[in-house]
Amino acid sequence: MKILIVEDNRALASSVHEYLSRENYVCEQAFNLHEAKEKLLFFAYDCIILDIMLPDGSGLDLLNFIKEKHISGSILIVSAKGAMDDKIRGLEEGADDYITKPFHLPELNARLRAIHRRKDLDGSHLVVFNEISLNTNTFEVTISNKHLDVTRKEVELLLYFLVNRNRLLSRQAIATHLWGDYTDNLSNVDFVYQHVKNIRKKINQAKGNDYIDTVYGLGYKFNTHKYETGR
Amino acid sequence: MKLVDKFTLCFLLIFFIVTPISIYSTHYSIKQRIDNVEIERLSAVNNEVALQLKSGISPDKYSQGRPISISTFAGNLPNEKILTEKQNYDQGECRITVSSFYNIKGLNYKVSSYNYVTQSGQILRGMLPVALVKSLLMIVAVLIAARMLSRNILSPFNQSLAQMQKFNLRKKKPLVLAESNTKEFKELNLLLKKMTDMAITEYGLVKEFSENASHELQTPLSVLRSKLELLADTNIQGDQAILIGEMQHAIEKMARINYSLLLLTKLENQEYEATENISFAGHIKSILGFYEDRIQMKALTLTTHIGDDISLKIHPALADLLFDNLLGNAIRHNVKNGIINIKANHEAFVIENTGAAPVIPTEELFERFKKSDQCGESIGLGLAIVKQICELNKFNVRYTYRDGIHSLRIDFNGMAVADSAALVAQA
Repeated sequence: MKILIVEDNRALASSVHEYLSRENYVCEQAFNLHEAKEKLLFFAYDCIILDIMLPDGSGLDLLNFIKEKHISGSILIVSAKGAMDDKIRGLEEGADDYITKPFHLPELNARLRAIHRRKDLDGSHLVVFNEISLNTNTFEVTISNKHLDVTRKEVELLLYFLVNRNRLLSRQAIATHLWGDYTDNLSNVDFVYQHVKNIRKKINQAKGNDYIDTVYGLGYKFNTHKYETGR
Repeated sequence: MKLVDKFTLCFLLIFFIVTPISIYSTHYSIKQRIDNVEIERLSAVNNEVALQLKSGISPDKYSQGRPISISTFAGNLPNEKILTEKQNYDQGECRITVSSFYNIKGLNYKVSSYNYVTQSGQILRGMLPVALVKSLLMIVAVLIAARMLSRNILSPFNQSLAQMQKFNLRKKKPLVLAESNTKEFKELNLLLKKMTDMAITEYGLVKEFSENASHELQTPLSVLRSKLELLADTNIQGDQAILIGEMQHAIEKMARINYSLLLLTKLENQEYEATENISFAGHIKSILGFYEDRIQMKALTLTTHIGDDISLKIHPALADLLFDNLLGNAIRHNVKNGIINIKANHEAFVIENTGAAPVIPTEELFERFKKSDQCGESIGLGLAIVKQICELNKFNVRYTYRDGIHSLRIDFNGMAVADSAALVAQA
């Protein structure tokens, strides 16, 4: 997947670039509106990560530009403003999703994947890893083709792990993913622990492998190499 | 004390000081006049008698109705040719005796005549009732006139006062004051206008600053958070992991505080204006669904009594935020196997939960950064946001704690309408 990161803060742009590159995306950066327009005219991108506040104009202008020039590609808006109108306007102007600063990198990745799954017309709604299969449309999980009885939140949690494989997910990042920005996630980390415990237990009971590692002091990691032969 | 009363009192005080003085001086002047006239007349009579003596006519005992006494005496004539004597009598009269001294044909004569005039006390007694009536008239006139005048003259002042009372810095509406042709009021209005205009500008700047500061903080916070996430994903040691974990926790807290402060600023700036009625019960239900897992995990017993749907004029985002904060608190500050009761109708919304007793008075918990320290994780802005939302929508909010139950009640103050058409299933 080819991604254009439009963000004027170079430190943040490089963070996003580094994280997404490790996910095997091809990432390019534009630090202002002008650069972004140039790149969009010459190259095709699957997804554009667009900051609303740019030094030479508003990201919303770029949305119009993309519409006018019939440029394809999904758009994920990033804004420091938590303002409702920005969100509504952005989505009305053709953006696919919206994320507010300060965001978690795994969250950004999960959003990109979700947009990609939705846009990818002939794409499957199944996220599969070894014996685990998750349907993002019906929110059903199977372990070795056997149905797993899980709650909606547990599916969301598992999906978050599956799209951020081998990445460290902090408890705060998980809390934000499960309950959103509005809720006070500081006090939700205990609930994260319980959710993780429950899903691990359920997968275990269904004879699935426990890929989720606890990283002491930090959070959790979905370790795909855990049961590889020779390790 | 009212300004007009002060003026009236001062005026009356002056009146009561001046009146006796004026009565006394008037009385003195009248008395003096009467006496002088009589003395002149008596000396004229004496002169008449002396003339008669000169011409050898033996005078009568009375001349012009005034008794005369004539005597001769030895020695020199006194320097004062005329001598007056005053004697008061009981009948309210005063006898004035005028004695004149003459040298007629080598003999020294003393001619005395007297008459009765009204005593000074009598004159005073005559003046007092008039003075009293005059005083009463004066007091009544002053009282009425002062009130009427004050209403007239002070009307621009009172208007300015009313305008100032209505003035709200948060509304950012400049003060409009009535015109006045009184110099002092003109100056006052000018000053008030200048002060309020300046306050509005300064307030705007402060608000703008805090909003901008919060915005500008979002990007560095993003950088910090993302870099730490990348760092945590590298090959790190256990003790480094703990350091990073603690940093992440602090950044999380900072992000949360920043978000809440930004929200409070936006609420103060009236950025969330209610445009249409929403179904409050619908919002309650959707948020309850959102918290379902957390309520279950803490093994809380939830009972809801939502009588009928409530049509409430409030910005939908604020309705969510309000209930989200309240329910979040009710869960966070609850005990395991605790209780949450939610009651709502078109008059009020009440949420009750079990929990430890608050260590500070419940009303203080509405203040920013005030928190009951049992739960160190909260940042202490949730209830400040609740209060701000309630104030914005003219609701009353009250927090009480009794017998282990925290109860938060929001009175809609007639801003909500029962909407029985859309009955909400009771949970």
